[in-house]
Parts: sequence; C-alpha cells; structure tokens
Amino acid sequence: MLKWIGACLFAFACAPGAWPQAVLRLAAAADLEPVLPPILKDFQHATGIRVEATYQASAMLTAQIQNGAPFDLFLSADLGYPKRLIRAGVAEPSSLAIYAHGTLVLWTRNDSRLRGPSLDLLRDPQLKRLAIADPDRAPYGRAAVAALTSLHLYDTLRPRIVTAENIAQAAQFVESGNAQAGLISLTTALTQQLAASGSYFVIPRDLYPPIEQGAVLMRQSTQRNAARRLLDYLLSAPAQAQFAKAGLAPVHPA
Amino acid sequence: MIDWQAFALTLRLATVTTAILLAIAIPLSALLVLGRGRWLAGLEALATLPLVLPPTVLGFFLLVLLGPRTAFGRGITALLGHPLAFSFSGLVVGSVIYSLPFAVQPLVAGFAGVEPALLDAARLLGAGSTRVVFTVLLPLARRSLLAAAVLSFLHTVGEFGVVLMLGGDIPGSTRTLSILLYNQVENFDYAAADRTATILVAFSLAALVAIYLGSRLRGGRHA
Repeated sequence: MLKWIGACLFAFACAPGAWPQAVLRLAAAADLEPVLPPILKDFQHATGIRVEATYQASAMLTAQIQNGAPFDLFLSADLGYPKRLIRAGVAEPSSLAIYAHGTLVLWTRNDSRLRGPSLDLLRDPQLKRLAIADPDRAPYGRAAVAALTSLHLYDTLRPRIVTAENIAQAAQFVESGNAQAGLISLTTALTQQLAASGSYFVIPRDLYPPIEQGAVLMRQSTQRNAARRLLDYLLSAPAQAQFAKAGLAPVHPA
Repeated sequence: MIDWQAFALTLRLATVTTAILLAIAIPLSALLVLGRGRWLAGLEALATLPLVLPPTVLGFFLLVLLGPRTAFGRGITALLGHPLAFSFSGLVVGSVIYSLPFAVQPLVAGFAGVEPALLDAARLLGAGSTRVVFTVLLPLARRSLLAAAVLSFLHTVGEFGVVLMLGGDIPGSTRTLSILLYNQVENFDYAAADRTATILVAFSLAALVAIYLGSRLRGGRHA
C-alpha cells in the first residue's frame, strides 16, 4: 500500500508541470472560456509556446493582478479593467489592444411558456424575472442596462430584474428555469448546453455602447516576447475568424 | 453611507434560520443520540453532508431543485404561489440546509456527553422521550445548545455562496451584508467595503462577548 502511494507521489512529482518550463500564463475573462481553448491549441501548435489560461470575472482578475498574480497577458471583457491596470502601473500602456467586440443577446429556454426571444418579449407583462449580469462590474451587465434604457424599459423592468455575479451565472438563472429570460453574451448562448435547450435574439448593436474587449501585457512578465506573439496571434485573421464563429464580433472584419 | 437595509435583512435571515434550525436540530440530535439502529448512522451522515459541497455548488443544486424544471420545485411554487428562488423564503431554505451541521454537531456532542445513568433514572421515574429531552438533556447540555445557536446564527450571517446563487441580489429581499460586501470589494470600492466589514465584525464581536459573558455569569460554563 505504502509503496503504491510512494509510486503515485513520484509519478506526480515527475509529471509535466512540476518542473519549471516556459509556460505563458494567461488571465482571461469568463466569457472567453468557451472560445479560447481551440485558439490556444492552434497557437501552441504553430509556435510551440504552451499557454495556461485562468478564466475568471474580469473584475476579480484585475484585483488579483493588482495584488501580484503572476500573469503574462490579460484578456478582459471590457476596456476599463486593462486601463485600470495601466493606471496602477502594472500593465504596459503601449500594448493595450481591442481584440474583439462582445455581442449581447436575449436568451430564453425553448420550453418557456412565453413567446420566443425578441424585443417584444421584454415588453411582455408576463415576463416576471429577467436575469442580467451585475451592471456595476460585468461589461455585459452594463450593456444590458444600456440597452434596456435605450428601449425606455429599464424603469418598468427594474423590479423584475435579478442580478447575477457574472454572465455565466445569469445564464444559469434562466437555464434552470428560475428566470424566464436573460440578457447574456452570444458566446454563452452558443455553448453546447445553452444552444441545445434554448434560443437567442441578438440585441441590435445601436441600443448599447460597443462592448470592447481589451487585452494588455503585464509589466512584470518574464516572457514578454511570447506574450506579444500570443496577442498578435489573437489579432490575426485565423483567430479572429474563430472568435466570430464563437460569438465575438471580430475587430478586423475578415 | 451604510446600507442598513442589508444589515437588517441579514439579521432577519440569521434569526429566522437559527429558530428553524434549532426546531429541527434538537429533535434530530436527540434521535441520533438516544435512538438505536444502524440507519441512524446514515441519517447523521446526511445531516453532516452540507459541509462537503462548495456553497456555490450547493446553491446551484438548490436553484435547480427549487426551479420550475423539477416536480419538487413546481410543487413548492404552487404551494406558495411564487417560486422560492430570488426570494427571502428561498434564502431561508438554503440557509437551513447549509447551516444544519453547525446546529446538529454541537448538540449531538452535548447530548452524548450527558451521564447515561441520569437518562435511565428519568425513564425509570416514568418520563417519556420528549420529557427526557426537555428536562434532562437540554438543561444539562445548555452550553451545546448555546454553541449550536451561535454557530448557526453566525454561519448564516457570513453565508455567501448559497445566497449568491439563489438570491439574485435584490435590495431588501436577498441582498445580504456578505453579498453587499462582496459587491463593494469587486467594484474596487474598498472604503465602503472597509466600513461594511467593520460593522459586521464589530457587531458580531459585541454580540459574542455579550452571549459568552451572560453564559459565564449564569455559571453555564461548567454545565
């Protein structure tokens, strides 16, 4: 028994990852979780650079980076957080780039008793619970409030809005049937689970200010060249095409 | 600006939860200690289980369970006339489940520490189970009862994950102090977060000192 445990420990110790190796550490906004993995795989294939991504709410990543989290590159769901890191002196000002635009959608379950997702659904008095992400910090939450305000619906809907911590949780509120509709990201609506159980309506882009997703390189990074290459790759045509497929509007229409 | 609404809501949630928890945990713990039968081991394990799940995961399960996609959730909604998620009563249900081990564990330990000869004597004199619990077990395990109440209350005050998943952050109904505090930290409003945290810690400290002092003055320490 002890021998087995010893052998397991030994195997763990020798497993890749235990030894220092050039791995690029990427902090990525939660809405990128369904999008990035295949792109990072292609990048590793093309360059031999291995990337380890941490997916979290942009606000949380920002707080962690400000307090010394060892990331090389930060992909935020907005432009405000990268700018905050630049002001704090931990990010490289010249590296700031917009890598994609977010798309806001209204999502409902297919078995909902209300009408399908549309702007009319938002005006339906039968809509009792509308889920959005926290407008104080989630970029899609801010966009949701802006869109509802443009439609002159925010004050009417306000008492019926439930606020989730982030976009994934807003989707869970609707997916579990507790809210009848949610304003979420297209990237989330296109994930397998949600695509199978519901449908979405793209909120017209003129109803909310663009969700500019910004990237920035970290000052303390020891692998700036590799990080720079990854950022360039994300802005290149193949990666942008993959962003588009996953629900992010590309910055350079291909 | 101090959010007294969140403060009052948190106190209300913790008070209601503690009352319900004690009403459940006292008979449950008495059954676990006095009862015979192997199935009780299963029951005790079940009552301890909420400790294992990460609170947000527990909250997510409750969100699904109480929602319209399960027969259970539809039944509850029909019974109450509104869904439990995103409501104060939903938070109470979540908190009771989440804090159950914190009420049961001290009571089981306290009841088990009571001299068995006293229980036998009470029974010989003709006391039924209920009477044994209320006239022998509880008075002798006062300290454990106090611990169960204090732990349940504080655990509910500091509860976060379940409320986050089940609450929907509605001011006055599901925005508790811990959610408010988390929002303030996440929004980089550290000054407000400091104030909220100070109130929370100062209030809890004062309440705990008062409770333990009272218990000492009454000689509860050695009970």
